[in-house]
This record gives sequence, C-alpha cells and structure tokens, in this order.
Amino acid sequence: MAGFIIRRVISSFLVVVLTSMFVFALFFLGPSNPAGPVCEASGKCTAERLALIEEQMGLNESVVTQYGAFAKGIFVDRTITIGSEYECDAPCLGISYGTRGQVTDELLEKYPATLSIAIGGAMIYLTLGVLLGVLAARWRGTAADRLLVGGSLLVSSVPYYLFALLAWIFLTLQWSIFPATGYTPLTENPGAWFAGLLLPWVVIGVTFSTQYARFTRGSMVETLGEDYIRTATAKGVKSNKVVFKHGLRAAIVPIVTIFGLDFAALLAGTVFTERIFNINGVGWWALNSIQSPQDFPVITATVLVSAVLVVVANLLVDVIYSFLDPRVRMS
Amino acid sequence: MRFKKPIIAITAVGMLALAACGGSGSTNGGSGEGASGIDAETLGSAGSGMNPDAKGPVEIEGAKEGGTVTVLSFSGLNSMDPTEAYYVNTASILSGLVTRSLTQYVYDEESGDMVLVPDLATDLGTPNEDFTEWKFTLREGIKWEDGTDVTAEDVRYGILRSFDRTSFPEGAAYSNDYFLDGDKYKGPYKSGTEYAGVEVEGNTLTLKMNKPFPDMPYWGAFPAIGPIPEGKDDPDKYRLHPMATGPYMFDEYTPEKSLTLVRNPHWDPATDPGRTAYPDKYVMDFQTDNTKIDQIMLNDQGEAQTTLTFDDVLAENFRTFQNDHEDRLVLGGQPCTSYWAPDYRKITDIKVRQALAYAYPYKDAALAAGLIENVTRIWGTNLMPPGIPERAEFNPLPDHEPGTTDTAKAKALLEEAGETGYEIKWLFANDDPSSVKAKDVQVRALKEAGFSPKPVASTIADLSTVRADPDADINVRSAGWCSDWPSGGSWFPPVMQSTNLDEEGLGSNYAVFSEPEVDQKIDEILTMPTEDQPAAWNELDKMIQEKYFPLFVIGYGGVAQTHGSAINGHNIDATFGMPTWKDIWVS
Amino acid sequence: MTTADLEQLEHELPPGEPVDKKIAGKSPTRIAFERLRKDKVAVISSAVVLLLILMGLFAPLICSLWGIYPDNSDPASPRPSEVLSFDTFPAIGPPYYPFTWEHPLGLAPRTGYDNLARLLYGIRTSLSVAAAATILSTVIGVSIGLVAGFARGWLDRLISFVIDLFLSFPFLLGALALAPIIISRFSTNLEALSKAQVIALVSVLVVFGWMALARLIRGQVLSLREREFVQAAQVMGVPTRRILFKELLPNLVAPIVVATSLTLPAYVAAEAGLSYLGIGLTGVPSLGQTINDAVNSYAEYPLYLWAPVVTVMVLVLALNLLGDSIRDAFDPKTRR
Repeated sequence: MAGFIIRRVISSFLVVVLTSMFVFALFFLGPSNPAGPVCEASGKCTAERLALIEEQMGLNESVVTQYGAFAKGIFVDRTITIGSEYECDAPCLGISYGTRGQVTDELLEKYPATLSIAIGGAMIYLTLGVLLGVLAARWRGTAADRLLVGGSLLVSSVPYYLFALLAWIFLTLQWSIFPATGYTPLTENPGAWFAGLLLPWVVIGVTFSTQYARFTRGSMVETLGEDYIRTATAKGVKSNKVVFKHGLRAAIVPIVTIFGLDFAALLAGTVFTERIFNINGVGWWALNSIQSPQDFPVITATVLVSAVLVVVANLLVDVIYSFLDPRVRMS
Repeated sequence: MRFKKPIIAITAVGMLALAACGGSGSTNGGSGEGASGIDAETLGSAGSGMNPDAKGPVEIEGAKEGGTVTVLSFSGLNSMDPTEAYYVNTASILSGLVTRSLTQYVYDEESGDMVLVPDLATDLGTPNEDFTEWKFTLREGIKWEDGTDVTAEDVRYGILRSFDRTSFPEGAAYSNDYFLDGDKYKGPYKSGTEYAGVEVEGNTLTLKMNKPFPDMPYWGAFPAIGPIPEGKDDPDKYRLHPMATGPYMFDEYTPEKSLTLVRNPHWDPATDPGRTAYPDKYVMDFQTDNTKIDQIMLNDQGEAQTTLTFDDVLAENFRTFQNDHEDRLVLGGQPCTSYWAPDYRKITDIKVRQALAYAYPYKDAALAAGLIENVTRIWGTNLMPPGIPERAEFNPLPDHEPGTTDTAKAKALLEEAGETGYEIKWLFANDDPSSVKAKDVQVRALKEAGFSPKPVASTIADLSTVRADPDADINVRSAGWCSDWPSGGSWFPPVMQSTNLDEEGLGSNYAVFSEPEVDQKIDEILTMPTEDQPAAWNELDKMIQEKYFPLFVIGYGGVAQTHGSAINGHNIDATFGMPTWKDIWVS
Repeated sequence: MTTADLEQLEHELPPGEPVDKKIAGKSPTRIAFERLRKDKVAVISSAVVLLLILMGLFAPLICSLWGIYPDNSDPASPRPSEVLSFDTFPAIGPPYYPFTWEHPLGLAPRTGYDNLARLLYGIRTSLSVAAAATILSTVIGVSIGLVAGFARGWLDRLISFVIDLFLSFPFLLGALALAPIIISRFSTNLEALSKAQVIALVSVLVVFGWMALARLIRGQVLSLREREFVQAAQVMGVPTRRILFKELLPNLVAPIVVATSLTLPAYVAAEAGLSYLGIGLTGVPSLGQTINDAVNSYAEYPLYLWAPVVTVMVLVLALNLLGDSIRDAFDPKTRR
C-alpha cells in the first residue's frame, strides 16, 4: 500500500515539474517577447527601452537560469525587476505585468469565486446525478427510467457553454428570474453571494449531473443483478435497504473517480462559466491575461496551478480508489 | 489628446473603432430613417469660454448628498499617473474627481459647453505682454489626502515631471514644446530639480516660455500641471495611487480592471470653483463587456439605477434607447478626428493619396465598426473638428461629398498617376472582430478602385506600437486625434509638424509628413498675436489639405452614453467626450 | 466531455471479442451494423448528420445557386451600406422588415453578410476541423495505446506517464495561450495566418484529445494480450508488428469506432466553443464566432442568434445520439 502511494506521489511530482517546464518554455521562449507587453504598458515602447526591460527581466540569461530563478522563487522570496523592483514572497509565481501585484496574492484573491462556483455546482450535480441514477435504476425499464436516460443523454449532448449562454440570456436578461449581480464575496454579503451564483450552480449542476446519473444507474443495475443482492432480497432484506446499502456502495467507486477529476477541472478554471456570467474568478482572469496585452506571469501561474490541482485530484482519487477497491494496487 | 486606448477585447465591441477604421456616409442622414444626431456644429468648441472669476463652493440646486455611483466600461485605464494621463478617460477621471491642477473646466448648463475656470490658481493666470511668461497664484487651504498642505513647490515639482518623456512617454509634450529650455530639460529624474523655467515665490509660480504660449491656461487644466509630492513619486508606483487633492481619493485600484474612489476628507469645497462631491463613493469596473453594459442599463434594476457608463451604447441598442429611454441617453460631441494617413515618404504621388480618399468605404467601414452616422460618426474634411473658433469648412477634393465613396473617380485618378495596382499596406487587429470586419470592407473598396490592398495583421496590444514604428512595413496609418483645447495649436504642431524620426520617432505625426513650408508656417502662427491665430490655423488647415493632401479625414467623433434613472447631472464634457463628473449626484 | 465519455466507455466496454475467421459467421461489425439499421434513433440521427454534411459539403454550390455570399469580398455581394440601416440592423428582412426569400435567415448586422451562407460555411468549417482532428487523434491514440498495451515494462510506464502528463494540462488554458502566439507569428501573411489558425486549432484539439483513446486501447490490449490466440501467435514467432496490426487491431474495431463516433461531436462543440471565446478561427466563417457576434442583439434580432445556436445543438446532438447508438449496437449489454 505504502509503496503504491509513494510511487504515485513521485510520478505526480514529476508531472508537475514537467508541466511547469513546458508552460515556462511556451511563454518565455515562444515567439512573443515577454518584455513587449511590459514595455508597452507604460507607453511608447522604444528599442532602447525594450532592451533595458529585457535586460532587467533577465531575458538575456539562458533558459535554464531563468527557469531556475522561477522554480527557486516557489520556495524562497525573490526580487523581480519590471521597471522598478518588486518583492515577491515565497511561494512566488511572479509579478503581474498589469497590476504589478504578486501573482500568488492575486490568485488567492480570485480563488474564492472559482471555488464558490465549483463547490456549489459540484454539490448540486452530485446529489442530483446520484439521486436520478438511483431512481432510474430502481424503476429500470419503466417510462420514468426511459425519460431519465433519454433526458440525460439530450442534456449532455448540448455543448455546455450554449446551455449557460442561453440560461443567462433568458433567465437573467430576458425574464429577470435570476439577478444579474455577478459575484459578491461571501464575507461581504452572503445573500448577494448566493443570489449571484445561483444560476451558474444550477447550470453546472444540471449539465454535469447527467453523467453521474448514467454512471450511478449503470453500476446500480449491474450490482442489483449480482447474486449476493438476489440472495439478500430473497432473504427478505427490505428493498430500499438493498438498493441503498448494497447497490449504492458498489456504484460509489466509479463515481469517486469521475467526481475527483471533474471537480479538479472545475477548480482549474471555469472559463466559460465565468466569462458568460461575468464572474471575476481564475478562469476569467486567465482569459483576460491572454487578451492583449498579455500578462505572462498570470498565464503561467494559472496553467501551473490548474495542472497541480488536477494532478493532486488524480492522486487522491487513486489512493481512495485503492482503499475502496484493493485490486487496483495489484495491477 | 489620445483616444481611449483600446485594451482587452474578448468581444471588443466597437472598441478600436476610432483607431483602426473609418466612417461612411452622407452628410445629414437624409434618408428619412437616420438617427437624430448631435449638434455637429459645436463639436470641438469644447471649452472656448472662460470665466476667471468663478468661486467655490459650487452647489447644485436640489442635489442630494450620498449614494454610490457605479461606473461601467469595457476599456481599462492606462497610466493614472497625473503626469502621464493623456487619454480621454484617464485625464477626465483624474481631473474630474481626484487630482487638481492650475485650471479646470466646468459644464455650463445653459450653453451645454465647457468653460475654463481657475482651480488651484486664484485666476486663469497673468501673462506678460508677449505671452512668454505666466504667473499663477495658488489658493490657501489646499491639502493632500493625508492632510498635509499642498505647496507651490509641489506644483513646481509636478510641472517638472511633465518634461520627462522617458518615464512618461505617453504624457503630453506641451511643456517640452513651449517652456524655457523644454527641449533640454528632461525632468527631475534625469536633469535634477534645478530648472529656471518654473520659479516659486511664496504662493506664486512664474512659468517661463521659449515662445509665446497664449494657450497656457488650457495646458494648466491638464492633470500633469498640478502638484506631485516629491519623494513619494516613483513613476512606476505613483500611477497606482496618485495622491488626491480633489474631492475623491483612490481606495482600491487594479489597473485595467477596477477602481474605487472614496471621499477625500481633506478636500475643502470652499477652495474649489468647479467640483461638487455629492456621491459618497465611485465604484468603477472596466471589465464588463458592452453587451452586458447595455443590458444592465436597459433593465435599470437595482444597482443599475445608480450606474453610468462612458462607453457608447452599441449601435444595435441605440434604437431601443432612443425610443424608450431617451431621458437616460446622453449624446454629445468629442473633439476628435479620425483619418487615414498615407506615409508621406512612401506614397509620394498626391494623386494616389487623393485616389485613396475617393476609394475609402466611409459608410461601410462605419457600419462594420458599429458607428452611427451623425451620432458617433460625423462626416467632414477639415483636420480640425467643428466648433474651433474661426474654423470654416472647406473641401480639398472637388466633387466629393464627405463620407461618400467614389470608386470611378479613384480609379481615374490612379490611372492618371499611372499607378493602377498600387499596393496599400495598413494594420488591423486580428483579435478584434470589429477591426477584422472593417478591414474586409476596406480591402474590397480599395480593390475595386484599382489598388492592391495588403492588410497587415496585428493584435490590439501591438497595433499602436507597430503603427508608431517609422520603419514598419506599412504605407498607410489609420489614426485619430482629439483637441487638447479649442485651438489649432493643439492640432498642427503634434499632427503635422515634422519630427526627428531617429530621435523621437513619429510622435503623433502618423503621416510622417514633412514640408519645411508647413513647419515654418506653424512656428510663425504660434508667435502671432492671439487674436489672429484662429483664422491662421484654419488657413493652414486648408493650405495643407489643398496643396499636399497628406491625409484624408474620415470623420469626427461623437458619444452616446447611458445612465441609470437615479443618476443626475450626467452630461457630456465635450473637451473629452466623457461624463461631467463634477456635477453628478444620486437621487 | 470527451474524457469522461471515453472513461465511461472504459467501464462499460468488455474487452474486444476475438474474431474467429475460420468459422463462417457474421463479424461483430456486421452484426452491429444490422442492429443499427433497426435502431430508429440511429437512422434519424444519421439522416440529420448526413444532411448537415451535405449542407457543408455543397455550401459553395448552394450559395452560388441562391445568390448569397458569406462575406463581402465578392464584387457581386451587397455592401454593408446598401443593405443596412443607420443602426447597423438590416434594411431588408428580419428583424424589422418582412421575410424575404432572397435572404431566408436574414442578414448580419454591421456587415450585411447573409446568415444562411454564413451558416452553411460555418458547418463546413466545423465539420472539417472536427473531422481532421478526430482522424488524427484516433490514429495517434490507437497507435500509442497499442504500443503501450503490448509493450510491458518501462515503455508502458513511460507512455502511461506521458498520458498522465497531458491529461493534467488544462486544455482550455493551453488553447487560450497558443492563440496570440500564432497571430504574432504569421501576422504579415494573411493566407498563412488563416491556415496557421486552422492547423493550430486542429493541433490543439489533437494534442489534448488523444489520451483518452490511447488509455482505452491500452486497457483493451492488456486483456487481449492474455488471450490464447495472441499468445499462440507469439509462441509461433509471428513478428510483433504483425501481431499488433493483424491480430490485435481487428479486434479493436468496435472500441475505436465507438470512441471515434463520440469524439467527433466533442470536437464540433470544442471548435465552436473556442471560436466563441474569440480564440479559434477569425479568417473563416465559424458558428461559434457568429454566436458571439449575435449575443449583442439577442433581444432585437433573435433569429441571428438562434440559427447558429440551433445548428450547433442539432449537429452535436445528432452526432452524439449516433455515437450512442453505435455503442449500443456494438455492445447491447449497456442498454439494460
């Protein structure tokens, strides 16, 4: 068991390191000159000024040196020169060209919005999906089952962003059923926080719940067909108890897997959600940083952090999975 | 003055319109269903009135104190360092709410025009006989946001900073152009604070010029000609929190994203002949896209009632606003001219330049960019927009109605010049859908007139930099310019006077126009008696256009802004085409 | 949702059934095809898909017959100022004027492009990008999956690691980041830029899309490898390449067809989504781009928004339903 976990941790760590190198290479060695936006941010960019900024930013150093400085910054404080000098406390992900603030601080500032979307949405889709899946499995073969299966297939076939866009246009703009307030921090006004996020939650909840319903139904149907369940039923165990105690337990394993990955994907940046509902979270931030003038440190940081989240989620899922289903460890 | 800088564009609706595309059209929307437009005659008169005796405090009858004003826009702010604030949005927000300078503009309800009044100075300054020396006396009781006194030395330091073109490349260069040794003194960071051009004696500042500068009171209204506290002014950081002297101060500011202004407790209304400060707070958000802004304004629910925007309403929503919410739609002028500037070094044949003007798809490009004829796009031919004193309309192209395309004429001219198939290369922003659409109609029109159009793709971020590069592989630059004050003095020196390309680059002479005759004439007019100048500028405008035709005007600007039902006092400050911040209150 | 769908497949699909050619009988593919023909949903959705493919394929022909243009580069196409009112809404047809057969879906505000022409060309773009990406990612995914599954030890581990690496890279953010880099690279040559954008878009879809299939195939190969017929071939000394392509591949037809049929709609959706965000294609008509433009005037001009929205929905829905039916046809057990 310990060996399995250690192996997974090491490979996850490697994945993170390689991703960071890749991201770094993409932005700092790609065809765009990172000094360009900085130079332009303060007006007319002369060749002389550009050269100075390149020098200050250390762009003339070798790739390895630059990456080294970046990686080191994650563990110790460093000073970054962009026009003037800026302190960057560990874990340092750089200084934003646009705001000249520490990217780490801003990331922490944006996270509550994205986290709020992800948690609320996940709660809805998990409950709704599992519930619908269980119901469909219990009523297998009936009209209700067919309706649920057909409906979930239909909903999951519509691209998510169109669903969100139409929901925003009709439910918020046209019919004003949901308020167009955008995001308010929970600490500032819990009511407004809830009201502003309700529609995104519902949209994420409904769209994502379909695959949970399908999974749950699939696993339940399979389990309910197993001999031990038939035995339990034959022995007179109550039908509800069979369904929930035995059936659901078996269905949980695959659900944990996809839940972990989906949730990580949500945390990694809900770009469409934030763009459509005008919520200033990590996804919106990344999208804005990529629009000109590009803010390279922000892009690097969002991609890197998202990758770390996905990797960690993968790791957790594997570990949990290995507890739930010991066969995994063997293979 | 520069247009609002077009930044961020996910959908970039209409943005960059001014910088990258053009106009269309007939003169006065004769086609029955046109929009009822703005008063095109007074577009640039912006601030030609003066009232040296204005006194504070200013009060608005019936206005209520309190409330939070939400301001929405889709274009982020450039540098908010007062020395560098030279875009219409940055300059107007700073001088309307945050920083004070020697003079200022106030809105005159009766004429709908802006009037120049004193601000930090007790009057509009006292010149010597030939306008080469100006004296300004500062008021008592002006304080920084931290409660310390604003001294004449602070104002002097602020003026010194305005010479620095390296730290503040986007700032206006009038100090360099007119002040004593303006070409040699490089600001306090490079040349130290020893400078003979600005002298302080008690409460009085004496400003010395290298040539007559009758327009000094206008220059004094720029945020750059105000106090800056020495020692707290690192150019890279000061722009994030300029020290307030006006009624509001920075609370939270995220560049290009949001700005919150709260009351400055040390601002004394009795010392201010222009500003009121009824709302408690301003919350500005520069990230809401224009579709959403329009929807919020149309619905007018909750917070939207105390919201205003300085972005133009989308063309698609204009009809609805005009029919159903006319009371919340504010139209006004902006003393700005959009033009296409062929590179004078490259397109040397005047016939080719003229052919280009005939061939240009004025109306199509305006539509593609979402500009509304007679509201946000007004046709014209003079470089100087209407409303500048003594401006008289002229037309350098015979038989050409402004805003119309004459492909046959263009073709004929091009043939005459023996240049059929002439290659035209200009920039467009590939990440801005409006710019791409405008490019498409431009390509077609030029092709039909016998040119070989070769548009060059750029991005919103890079476009202005590439355009400013004298060596860029393009031969036409699409540009725009706005009056700094209602005089040719804020047009011809920056736009038409030759620059030293190696040292200063193009500056704002996008045509790279250089004719000794014109350079000389500009210098001459600047030394003329003030009363003769307006007519002379107009003559010069006409002479340049008729003799050299270095650029062709596409049209002038206008604005169509909206506000919520609880916002009062939102008019258009025509010097900027921005809201009259100083008069706003919430009911 | 590609990943999730394919992962679901991994759970649901049994390892490929070995094909025994000696005994005369129907191949699984054939059986599946016969099942499909009896499935009403499959028949209807394939008819819809076929119709849309034809629309895309013959877009130029339809447009020239109808006399409509997707942009205004053609000298015969109407200029914006000829067909639009002062506020950029069309001066003929919807939303303010009665329907006209000349432009059945109306004209686009600001540009005067014909919406039907735009739609047809948009379908063409969507389908060709999605098809190219699907073919490429299938080839890559299958090859890598085959190799990983068959090669034990370090190679398998390395490939699995690479798959993990790619899976952890946030796809949308990666796609976002590449767009401006490509524009700045090809800015001077518009045709090259246009091509570069298409290639970049396809590459982004492929680079972030091959892993799920590779994983699926690897899993299938792992279990097939233990079957007698493969082991027998190995013992007989059949070369590895031959085993991979002659013995294993035919047994993987079912999962490959199923995965492909579910990947295609995911790519169609992704292409429109990226164009909607403004980071997809700019030079050619695209449904996502039209949706983005049309949001501006949803209240006044709903048709302008609805036409591309419904088209994307129908296209993705039909492809998904077809994919689903194909899956059921290959493995009826899933529909219990």
